[in-house]
Amino acid sequence: MIMNIPIPNRWQSLATLAGLLVPALALAHVGQGDIAGGFVTGLEHPILGLDHVVAMVAVGLWGAQLGSPAIWVLPVTFPLVMAFGGLLGVLGVNLPGVEIGIAVSAITLGLMVTLAVRPPLWAAGMLVGLFAIFHGYAHGGAELPESANALAFAMGFVIATGSLHVTGIIIGLINRWPWGMRSLRTGGAAIAACGLYFLVPYLAGA
Amino acid sequence: MALGLTLSANVAHAHVASAQAGAFYAGLLHPLTAPEHVLPMVALGLLAGQQGLNQGQGLLLVFPAAMALGASLALLHPALEWVSLLNIGSAALFGGLVAAAWRAPAVLLYALALLFGMSHGYANGAAITPNLSPAVFIVGLVTAALLVLGYSMAGTAYLLRLQPAWLPIAVRVAGSWIAAVGILVFGMMVRGQ
Repeated sequence: MIMNIPIPNRWQSLATLAGLLVPALALAHVGQGDIAGGFVTGLEHPILGLDHVVAMVAVGLWGAQLGSPAIWVLPVTFPLVMAFGGLLGVLGVNLPGVEIGIAVSAITLGLMVTLAVRPPLWAAGMLVGLFAIFHGYAHGGAELPESANALAFAMGFVIATGSLHVTGIIIGLINRWPWGMRSLRTGGAAIAACGLYFLVPYLAGA
Repeated sequence: MALGLTLSANVAHAHVASAQAGAFYAGLLHPLTAPEHVLPMVALGLLAGQQGLNQGQGLLLVFPAAMALGASLALLHPALEWVSLLNIGSAALFGGLVAAAWRAPAVLLYALALLFGMSHGYANGAAITPNLSPAVFIVGLVTAALLVLGYSMAGTAYLLRLQPAWLPIAVRVAGSWIAAVGILVFGMMVRGQ
């Protein structure tokens, strides 16, 4: 029952290989199931959704642009707030307009970077936290394959999201040079444009 | 996949020189092969490292001892399902405290280590099968706890003494990731029950 559901994607062989390396002992634990498959599913969920990717990178860019303490407050608090959003999704709490919220988060965060907006730390934290709930909800409510190990899935998606923040922060470090400052703000505009692109279908469909 | 697991199980048996070595490695590997035990232990190590070695080192005694106690309790009173919730909750708690860079009063830190050491020990002790010697299994378990806790505590304390200002932040970020995983899986387990 645990192993007989195929993982319907190109990671199958990799996941199978990794699964073989995991001792059979691990199967005796809570959250039983396919550890490697769950991890890969969790890892690719935030990365394959471009709306998530641009918004997460924007969090890092904005943090780097704001400098200390925002540069570290945002990546420390985001995963925690996102986890609460994920909790809402997991527990099946109804949260309308999640996809719209995610697209709007990319637009807003992109604009913040473009305009180099410098709100007080608490305001930036509130804004990012609000969006974190939408992003977490989308992942937490995601259809988790029956065969997947829940813990491996959660680890995959937290690592993927956190790595996107770190990527954004590292890119954002170019802000110390004048040319970097301009490139960063251009990048913010590109992210806002992506967000707009993702928003249009939802508005047209509504 | 099933075939592969069967093969790996056979290979594992072929390695066992004696039943007691088997029990030791079973006890050693059981917590190490499960993220729900490794993550909280690493988080506790990070938290202890943040306090500094002077205050944190007592945990190397308290936590493994509590694990041995918990594993013994599992032999007397098996099958308490809610202990798993405590265990994953400890990932959320310890990770959150690391993210907050909490300066823990020693008594409170040790009390938490005692409580959750027992819950982790219990869950591992529940895996002692009749063919394994409980005492040897528990020795393996304690060894695993010492290794994970010791390395993460010493590693963190060492990193925090280095100059780069981003290192303490990286430790806090690691804590927040562990806490996020703990919160999510806690929710999944509550839903699953």
